Amino acid sequence: MIGYISRRILFALVLVFAVSSASMVLARLAPGDYVTATLGAGARREQIDAERARLGLNRSFGAQYRDWLAGAVRFDFGRSMQYDRPVTDLIPESALNTGILAITALVVATLIGLPLGVVTGTRPNGVVPSAIRGVSLVLLSMPPLLTSLLLVFLAARSGWLPVGGMTSSGGGGLADVLRHMVVPVAALALPLAAMFERLQSQAMSETIGQPYVIATYGRGVPLSRVIWRDALKNALRPVASVYGLVVGTLLSGSFAVETVTAWPGIGQLMLGALRARDVYLVAGCAAAGSIFLALGTLLSDVALAWVDPRSTG
Amino acid sequence: MGQLLTRQLRSIRFVVAALSLALAGCRAAPSSNKGSNARELLVSVRTEPRNFTRLGAREEATDLVALLLHAGLVRINRTTDEVEPWLAESWSVSADERQFTIKLRPNLQFSDGHALTADDVVFSFEASYAVNDTMKVGGKPLAVKAVDEATVIVTFPQPFAPGMRLLDNLVILPRHKLESALKNGTLAKAWGVSTPPSDLVGAGPFVLASYQPGQRLVFDRNPRYWRRDARGEVLPYLDRLTLDVIPDENTQLLRMQSGETDATGSALPAESYASLKQGATAGKIRLYDLGAGLYPDMLWFNLKPGAFAGDPRASWIQRDELRQAISLAVDRKTFLDTVFLGAGVPMFGPVSPANKRWHWAGTPETPHDPERARQLLASIGITPSNPARFTIVTMKGRPSFERAVTVIRDELKKIGVTVDTAALEGNALIQEILVVRKYDAAYFNFSLSDTDPAMSPDFWTSAGSEHIWNPEQKTPAAPWEARIDELYRQQVGAVQDHERKRLFNEIQKIFVEHQPIVYFAAPRVFVASSMRVGNAAPSVVPPRLLWSPDTLTIAAPTEK
Amino acid sequence: MKYFGLTLLAVIVAAAVAAPVVAPYEPDRSFRGLLNAPPALVHPLTLTHQLEQRYEQDLTKRVPLEWFAHGRLVSSSDERAPLLLLGSDGYGRDVFSRLLYGARLSLLVAVASAAGALLLGGLVGGIAGYAGGLLDDLLMRGSDFVIVLPAMYIALALRSAMPLVLPPAQVFALLTGIFAVVGAPFLARGIRAIVRSEKRLDYATAASSLGASHTRLLLRHLLPAARGFIGVEITMLIPAFIVAEATLSYVGLGFPDPVASWGTMLQEARTIRAFTDFPWLLSPAAAMFLLVLGLNLVVQHTGVAPVYNDTDASSRRSRTDPDAVRS
Repeated sequence: MIGYISRRILFALVLVFAVSSASMVLARLAPGDYVTATLGAGARREQIDAERARLGLNRSFGAQYRDWLAGAVRFDFGRSMQYDRPVTDLIPESALNTGILAITALVVATLIGLPLGVVTGTRPNGVVPSAIRGVSLVLLSMPPLLTSLLLVFLAARSGWLPVGGMTSSGGGGLADVLRHMVVPVAALALPLAAMFERLQSQAMSETIGQPYVIATYGRGVPLSRVIWRDALKNALRPVASVYGLVVGTLLSGSFAVETVTAWPGIGQLMLGALRARDVYLVAGCAAAGSIFLALGTLLSDVALAWVDPRSTG
Repeated sequence: MGQLLTRQLRSIRFVVAALSLALAGCRAAPSSNKGSNARELLVSVRTEPRNFTRLGAREEATDLVALLLHAGLVRINRTTDEVEPWLAESWSVSADERQFTIKLRPNLQFSDGHALTADDVVFSFEASYAVNDTMKVGGKPLAVKAVDEATVIVTFPQPFAPGMRLLDNLVILPRHKLESALKNGTLAKAWGVSTPPSDLVGAGPFVLASYQPGQRLVFDRNPRYWRRDARGEVLPYLDRLTLDVIPDENTQLLRMQSGETDATGSALPAESYASLKQGATAGKIRLYDLGAGLYPDMLWFNLKPGAFAGDPRASWIQRDELRQAISLAVDRKTFLDTVFLGAGVPMFGPVSPANKRWHWAGTPETPHDPERARQLLASIGITPSNPARFTIVTMKGRPSFERAVTVIRDELKKIGVTVDTAALEGNALIQEILVVRKYDAAYFNFSLSDTDPAMSPDFWTSAGSEHIWNPEQKTPAAPWEARIDELYRQQVGAVQDHERKRLFNEIQKIFVEHQPIVYFAAPRVFVASSMRVGNAAPSVVPPRLLWSPDTLTIAAPTEK
Repeated sequence: MKYFGLTLLAVIVAAAVAAPVVAPYEPDRSFRGLLNAPPALVHPLTLTHQLEQRYEQDLTKRVPLEWFAHGRLVSSSDERAPLLLLGSDGYGRDVFSRLLYGARLSLLVAVASAAGALLLGGLVGGIAGYAGGLLDDLLMRGSDFVIVLPAMYIALALRSAMPLVLPPAQVFALLTGIFAVVGAPFLARGIRAIVRSEKRLDYATAASSLGASHTRLLLRHLLPAARGFIGVEITMLIPAFIVAEATLSYVGLGFPDPVASWGTMLQEARTIRAFTDFPWLLSPAAAMFLLVLGLNLVVQHTGVAPVYNDTDASSRRSRTDPDAVRS
């Protein structure tokens, strides 16, 4: 057990470094750099060269990478050029903001999607299951940008909820944050819930076709108990397995929702950094994303082991 | 077994929910104590400012913040386009028109109580020269000397017609705060966005109260602001001004309609006109139609000599006739209708008709004449048997660019010219235009810093970096380029207004003849504000609604 | 239900294939003065307010339909009174025609990418689940790496390595490659979990003791056990790919204008006015919904219904024969 966990942690560290290094390489390959992004197309040669020298961007990639690596092992991931702050300062703030959204969205999606998936999986025909399936399919066929825009639009129209942002000016209390959270959480959670519902539905309908379940039913156990007690645990297998991936993609996929709802999270931070070619910040965000993914997959593997003991060992 | 499962699930759910609530709680800051009848203006901006000195590259949010925090010696009134005394009370000019003796107002203070004297003016010039060239004339700095506490003598290296107008670009920075940065050479990085608000000192109408990165900047009124209105009342009228960072245009619009935003920092595109009109008719929004804008989109070709070496198209792709033919072939009415929904004026020369002072009224209006276009093309060897094909690069994500390029492509197809379009990501486009320089043609937008052409030598002269079709030429590449350089040099030094006008008209004439940039239309500018905003006199020049933040008023919240 | 799903899919594919005939116009044909116009089936439209893009039906005139002309099923003979079954977009192009032509491109990209993702993900997940141990860890961490890399940078770096104007075939190959790689980890993870647990079941040990090689065991017995999961996952990946094509075009790595695809059509619809005034711009989303519905109905597991709908207890007992249910 200890060996398993320590192996996973080792792999996670390797992943973090691999991802951040790859980001630095890709940033070098991508056209333009921070200087061209800030100075624009009308800049003078000397200006560009001077800025590059000031920021240390005129060194060879090898030198740049070596310096960054030397700092990284001491947990100094460089300074953001846009904000002129250490990357390790900027990321925890935004990661926390996104984390709140992601966790809440995950919980909401699980609470909605799993039970609905059980319902549609065990009784495929019928008005209610068909309606649920229909809603899931609608959510899955809408692009995330459109879903967030639609929700923001509805919020604006109804007037109950604030439009965009994390807090109101002069506000900032818990109630204020919660009110601002409704739209972005909904935008994240609804497509996720649809995905869980579909996966759970499939897994459920497979599981109840298994001999032991039918046997239980045949012995006279009421249907609802058969479903919720005996079949469910095994049917959680596919959802548990993708849980980790969902956590990882939530962080990187949240930028669409965060941009539209003006939520100051890490998705928005990374998008801004990518556009401005703020290489150290991008590497830092990618590293943060990989940490979350590693945690998420560890979580999901643990869940998998618990749900289906057959898969361990 | 199943019961165990559901119980475990329930407890897990509970833990996670509690965790997220706790996390949300620690994001929540205590509410600031603000009186319920405080006069607060809410503004949405798309990006965050880069620094608080405005010494680096110009950028919309940074310029807006500088307007709030700082003041200059003079200010250009955006409605009259005239220079007004600001921190400077008065000035006199020497006989040779090169030396200005400027008297500061008495008892000026920075926001921290420190006196603002001639030393700070001298320091501000030094700071500017340490970082960029905005305050240079002909590449040479101005000589600045403090005569006494309240008098400065500024000497231009050569006669400069705009004169004091140049000083609108200079913000007066506090010597006592930034001198050490200047000495250390770290001035370019000074007062970045992580500076604690209490360190930021300026002579502007507001001070920065708080900055939540990624979210908002809150500005409170500067109690030591120098200006008073005509009745002697202290300015600014506003108690507080909040900039909310809202990156998405749609969300900005929705906030405007729901009343959570009073004004936006950027202009709104023609497509949003309809939504705003609905709001205006319903009495929720005030919509301003400011007429044609100043800086339209531009189509230009890569005129760098040798850029097409080895390319069979080299014989025609850099020729004037090609661009003249394009100007003839594209129907400007169709262009306006498709790109700007008819809201705009056609353009045929480099200066927008909105720039009333400098637009050459005699600009010939190129007719829509595809037949003549074909003849011109034939004269440089483009015929149905030898057709022309080139690529226009533009920026992805700007609907007006993408639509314009589509119209150009469709119109040119009718005269037998095939156009491919490549919409590149923002920075990739800049890289292509600025560094790689292997593109055929580009469609993009540049805003110049001022309506007065003498303030934009980088654009007009061949050695300039913004001379976008062939920047930073060592010697003028064509006789007409040399001619423009000469005329420009003359008009910068000419002091007589009508002489300058004549010279600049001449420049426009040459421009229209050779069309290094083809202009099609200047769109109308729309700005919106909530009904609560008063005393706004928006202008087409950015920041449009907020150029005079100290005279803006807002109705109290209870009067909504 | 299954047949309804198949019919739906068949109709969509047929419409896409027959686009040059069924669509009234070319996808890049724009009608001046009819930007964001509402559907015009019977009466043509007149522009009442240009800036607000408001139109009115001209009830005095009718759209002159011409059938079987120029190789098209139906079209309008008057250029100024076009047949706009689903209105027009921001450039004045017929949305219905673009929907049909766009279907070809989007479906092709999505199906090819799904096939690629299935191949790659099935391979990786199957081997990982079967082998276990270090190989399993390596493969799974490798797929994690793929997920976490900032896709935009990869797209940008790739784009800059290519010439400015990309021929559609190259774009197609590039997109399919990227999507296959990006979509594979999702399939890999689920397949791995299923293969792992199935490996220990009796039928697997039985097959292996009968002399089945590893490959045969994997391909013939274990992977097919995941087909339910694969089916569902593919129905979720396909709309995601169609949408991702639009996101990638944001960094310049997509089909150039005026090539029509559902993804780019939805990108253009990304304004509030699409919800309030121009709902026809969202028709690609409706089309995607129909596609996903069809796919779902086809892959959905319906075999268990008969047993559980039986309320008679005695016949229930007698029907609990596993073979009867495993259809």
